[in-house]
Amino acid sequence: MVIGRNPKVTLIRAAVLAVLCILGYHFNTLRGIRVEGISMLPTYQDSSAHFVSAVPYWWHEPQRGDAISIRMAGVHEMYLKRIIALPGETVAFANGRVLINGEVLDEPYEKLPCDWNLPPEKLGPNEYFVVGDNRSMPPENHTFGKAERDHIVGEVIR
Amino acid sequence: MKNVSSFILLAALVALGVWLWFVLSPSPERIIRQRLTKLARTASFSSGEGNLARLAAAEDIAGYFATNVEVDINVPGRVQHTLMGRAEIQQAALGARERLRGLTVKFPDINITVAPDKQSAVADLTIVVNIAGDRDSVVQEMKFTFQKTDDGWLIARVETVRTLSSAILHFALRRAPFIVPA
Repeated sequence: MVIGRNPKVTLIRAAVLAVLCILGYHFNTLRGIRVEGISMLPTYQDSSAHFVSAVPYWWHEPQRGDAISIRMAGVHEMYLKRIIALPGETVAFANGRVLINGEVLDEPYEKLPCDWNLPPEKLGPNEYFVVGDNRSMPPENHTFGKAERDHIVGEVIR
Repeated sequence: MKNVSSFILLAALVALGVWLWFVLSPSPERIIRQRLTKLARTASFSSGEGNLARLAAAEDIAGYFATNVEVDINVPGRVQHTLMGRAEIQQAALGARERLRGLTVKFPDINITVAPDKQSAVADLTIVVNIAGDRDSVVQEMKFTFQKTDDGWLIARVETVRTLSSAILHFALRRAPFIVPA
């Protein structure tokens, strides 16, 4: 077994590494995910692997356009969605276009046809509106809606 | 040297005592967690199950629930179903085992909150269901309410939790009824 020239230093290094790994896991510094489903096509393919990190949200709050992971009861199964509306905003769908406070939202990531028409909904102070990039299916077959800030685990890193 | 040996022996004895205490008098949270794990295992099955095994499993599953249990499952686009009482649970479990070629149930995340009087508890959990032959899993956040009875901790209520809530989604669901019987 190789333990280095100075076993004490090696032990300290191993302990520091172990602590960093535990902290990294606990605070969702970097977490591997595998996509299941087609709701984020064409940006994220079914069965593709990515990373999620909470680090960007240590410095700023989640932004519009961020692809994020949202936890359920825990972080072993999460939703992968995109933020389209921020706290306090009103969101609606008209002829497949997203309206934020009545203004059309430019969405370069949405490339599949969409014909949704849904009434306006105002978000609370702690709520983000999330939806998948693939809205080619009827809205009732797509999981989307308001996510509380404390359910947002981190941003998806390509 | 003798002191060091005595200290190590004492520490080992204390550790053994603590371990035994946890094993012999598990906390309600631990008991509920174990019951949920066993329930998931019992609810899972593969093809080739005999009739007697099916009946036994369905009865076993019903035993995890209180006699007056209320199960309200509402997964948009997939399932909407309400079951009342243990008999309906047993019937539904038997029906699923007769109809499906296989099923895998898992609870990858479980958060348990025990009431201060330790007579009830709520488990907020994620359920993952894989039906044999289906490519996609059903993943849903759910809330299980447990009650402490003479027969142990039994599930008194099951309901789905909408992780992503939305009035817009409710509008979409009302507009297009798609309810699929379980």
